[in-house]
Amino acid sequence: MDPCDKCEDLLQPFLDRELTDAEREEAETHLDACGYCRKRYKFEESLRRYVVSACREPMPAELKAKLAALRTPL
Amino acid sequence: MAALRSLLVSAAVSETHPEVDARRMAEEARDRVRFEEEVLELADQAYRVARRLAPTQEEAEDLVQETFARAFRSWRQYQPGTNLRAWLFRILTNLNIDRGRKVQRTPDIQPMEEGDYYLYNRLEESGAAEDEDRVVERLSQDSIVEALAAVPHDFRDVVVLVDIGDFSYADAAQILDIPIGTVMSRLHRGRRNLKQALAEAAVTEAS
Repeated sequence: MDPCDKCEDLLQPFLDRELTDAEREEAETHLDACGYCRKRYKFEESLRRYVVSACREPMPAELKAKLAALRTPL
Repeated sequence: MAALRSLLVSAAVSETHPEVDARRMAEEARDRVRFEEEVLELADQAYRVARRLAPTQEEAEDLVQETFARAFRSWRQYQPGTNLRAWLFRILTNLNIDRGRKVQRTPDIQPMEEGDYYLYNRLEESGAAEDEDRVVERLSQDSIVEALAAVPHDFRDVVVLVDIGDFSYADAAQILDIPIGTVMSRLHRGRRNLKQALAEAAVTEAS
């Protein structure tokens, strides 16, 4: 298998921190040597942050008050 | 007669320790207050996830309210020391499914040609020689929200829990009551769906 294809397959679990130590080392060794894959890993990382920030939506204050009102009265 | 006697005996036993009962009740009340406070601290996260799972803002708000009402009601079922966040989000995702979200046809399981580098490659093609770090900004935040909403439910549940809720694969598996391998394959597909939709949106916006 082409090492860049292999590295592409490891991208998601790598960023999810779900690789085994051996797999992570394999990806890191390849990334150290390969600018093509490094760029794409960096992009994926910033894409994830970007998705999170696109979904950062403050909760309406009324809803927050409604939730607090659901508490058991003391 | 025997029943009456045992009733009198048990009443006498509890009456001899009223302070024990009172202390137990006070402890329980304190635990309950602490539990409710901890659950309320998760409200913002719950809302963010609900917004991406429910079709409209109104439905997301209803979903969050139902979730918290149920969580407060069933606080005795929560085992202290276990993962409260996973426990709460399990209630949320189950309620979301129970709310009778529209039945979707099982998404096509055609093999997907494009790999994980696809979106980057498309963006790179469409805007050469730009600041590398800003490639992602060529996508609008609205297009991300829309693309996520278009990901089929089963895949989206997993993507939202892991990417927005920041849950591990194992937590997502527990929350959705599916094997961890299923979490991984749905996550993989869901993210690719998302990136394909983003690639299409980016190309449309650029032209």
